[in-house]
Amino acid sequence: MLRVPSMIVIHDLVKRYGQFTAVDAISLEVMPGEIHGFLGPNGAGKTTTLRMIAGLLKPSSGRIVVNGHDLATHPEAAKMSLGFIPDRPFIYEKLTAGEFLTFHGGLYGLGEPGIGGRVREMLELFELGKWEHELVESFSHGMKQRLVMCAAFLHRPRAVVVDEPMVGLDPRGARLIKDVFRKMSAHGVGILMSTHTLEVAQEMCDRISIILKGRIIARGTVTEIRAMGAQDDDQLTAVFLKLTGGSALQEIDEIV
Amino acid sequence: MVRAYPYLLLPHVLSSRNRARRRERGDFRRALLFGGVGIAVCAALFQGSFWLTGHLEDYAELGDFLLRMGLSWLFLTFLSFLAFSGVVTALSTFFLAEDLRLLLVAPVATRRLFHARFLRTVVQASWMVVIFLVPVLVGVGRAKCAGAAFYVTALLTIVPFSIIPVAAGTAVTLLLVNTFPARRARDILMLMGLLFAASLVIVLRFIRPEQLLRVESLPDLTAFFATLQSPITPLLPSFWAGETLFASLQGGRDLLHAGALWTTALASVVVVRAASERWYFSGYSRSQEAPKARFTRFGMLDVVARTLPLSIGRRQLLIKDLKIFLRDVSQWSQLLLLLALVLLYLYNFRVLDLSRIPYMSGFVKNIYAFLNLGMAGFVLATVAVRFAFPAVSAEGASFWVIRTSPITLHDFLWSKFWTAVVPVLGLTEVLTITANEFLGVDPFLKVITALAIVFMSFALVGLAVGLGARYPRFGADPSQVAGSYGGVAFMMQAVLFVIAMIVLIGWPSSVYLLQQLRGRPTSLSQDALLAICFLGASGLSIAIWLLSMRSGVRALQQMSD
Repeated sequence: MLRVPSMIVIHDLVKRYGQFTAVDAISLEVMPGEIHGFLGPNGAGKTTTLRMIAGLLKPSSGRIVVNGHDLATHPEAAKMSLGFIPDRPFIYEKLTAGEFLTFHGGLYGLGEPGIGGRVREMLELFELGKWEHELVESFSHGMKQRLVMCAAFLHRPRAVVVDEPMVGLDPRGARLIKDVFRKMSAHGVGILMSTHTLEVAQEMCDRISIILKGRIIARGTVTEIRAMGAQDDDQLTAVFLKLTGGSALQEIDEIV
Repeated sequence: MVRAYPYLLLPHVLSSRNRARRRERGDFRRALLFGGVGIAVCAALFQGSFWLTGHLEDYAELGDFLLRMGLSWLFLTFLSFLAFSGVVTALSTFFLAEDLRLLLVAPVATRRLFHARFLRTVVQASWMVVIFLVPVLVGVGRAKCAGAAFYVTALLTIVPFSIIPVAAGTAVTLLLVNTFPARRARDILMLMGLLFAASLVIVLRFIRPEQLLRVESLPDLTAFFATLQSPITPLLPSFWAGETLFASLQGGRDLLHAGALWTTALASVVVVRAASERWYFSGYSRSQEAPKARFTRFGMLDVVARTLPLSIGRRQLLIKDLKIFLRDVSQWSQLLLLLALVLLYLYNFRVLDLSRIPYMSGFVKNIYAFLNLGMAGFVLATVAVRFAFPAVSAEGASFWVIRTSPITLHDFLWSKFWTAVVPVLGLTEVLTITANEFLGVDPFLKVITALAIVFMSFALVGLAVGLGARYPRFGADPSQVAGSYGGVAFMMQAVLFVIAMIVLIGWPSSVYLLQQLRGRPTSLSQDALLAICFLGASGLSIAIWLLSMRSGVRALQQMSD
């Protein structure tokens, strides 16, 4: 049987800052249509890993392949297949939403004819249609976050890397994002998503990798991960805390 | 216990200390290069003022008078720069700085905050002026064999002299932030640009440079100098500073003017502090209000850009850069200032009446063509440091959009270069050609200088964009970027480059001019000299342009390490 090629493959990825190893020989695969959750406590190396996949950080060693293109040797081709959603939505404040998306599309080779229609389509999808001609500087955090998502999906990427997608979104926005991610994955887009919200991971992810101190300590489906808990009915949060040493949190009561 | 206001400066002190402690590869080489260039510029300033003061000594009383006037003019120029710099810096330190949010929610009294911010504003607004002033004053002191008292007086003069205009600038900012109807605080910068341009015009009217060239007025020196003294000048701190220093140079003491400086400085701090206690918070609050998104669409830009033979990515980069530039008032308001400078500059050439020097006019006006080239070079460097150098930094926190997209950093930086070089080249060519036309210089020189400007534009914009990529300040606003370490380094290298170009073009051209004046054709060896120097000038420009861009691209690529 012909094996379906992975959308994102990382192999033995390492990132060192001087003596400190932020990411320590991580390997991971995201298949087409898969939503892969990337969980871990603060400072575990999640954002560093995602930034390396997005091409913002250079790995100390290891290999990243996006849709069959090696990021080190063919960065343009790899990035062409990738969409990136950062944790903080910094965008050009003096452009309108429409102009920003047209510009973003241009970077990915999308031009006239067709770009205008695609921009409106994405804005409508993320409920920003009536804001097309407004400056980004007048947007709220949640609107900016949704605009960044429009940009990430604009060029029809085969893989998407998302860092904390739900930060700053209201419940309606969060629901919208979840729906969009599900629809995208149904169309074969591979999504690698880091999140602190374990309910989101539990609800959306096909598989989950838990990272601690730069190393992946657990991987599997939600059911498989929950099975690692002490009791069978353990929720993901309890398992997560157990695996990442979060039981110390219990001492909080005493301190407070 | 309430800590004294210097405590509020601790984060800046610690940040500076940590920055200084941080060791990176190539630190030593950088320090050597920039330290060397800095020392060379200071040495040139020292030598220049030493030489000039020494020559003025030969003219006894007239020399003393000219020195006194010179000091007053020097301080007058710096006064206007300090006032403008004070307004811009105060806007940033008092109203736009990110850390204000942290300080304002803490139990910090307005008075303490004012003291800390004002001290920071004075230092930030005046350090460059002081660095230029010190070697000049030391040069004057050495030439006049002044004692230690002069240097102590100089120090005691510079401090209040810096405080007064910065206090005035802070007051103007406070007033503008509180009264300006447009809620976008940064928009006020536009007004400030105009204010500075206006103050420059006033300075120029005080100095009246064209009077110096009225040869027929020279026999009547008293009347000539009397025209230079306007009735307002003695009321300005620049005059007091000049007088205090001049008295000290003569071995005396001018306590009246020194006292005027100190009392005004202290009084202005007290007045601005009181105003700040009354209106600071309301101004800060206004500057935080959500901006009303009024803006121009610039639809024509898209239409024009579509006609250019560019790839989609590059075209979109161009459109984005231009729209952001035009909508960000803080960026283009500086253009108004520049326009004012250019108009003044051309006005100077318009009022030059060289026919009054009958025997020399032909030669002098051609020499002026080179001065013009030098001036155009410095205008070019100033424009480049304001607009081309911050090009990469202007991406700010949005730079991730470029870095995660499939556009190469090489394409990105070259797009920045072309976007900057076209207007810069246009501006300086118009400037040079118009000035040369006003002067009526030799046609050969017109062509040479016009060509030189093309090479200089490419080299200086390339140097600015390249260095801007090597020393980006993504968090800072454009005016701060130009004054950063990289910006200063660019200015120093740019000045050296312009000097080198003038030597390489001016020297052979003067040989050609002298031959013209004598009515003789140039010899074969002189032709060879001309060719070698011109080739050297173009080679130097091309090398600086391409090497700077290459190192800029490399620096961007290494950013992800």
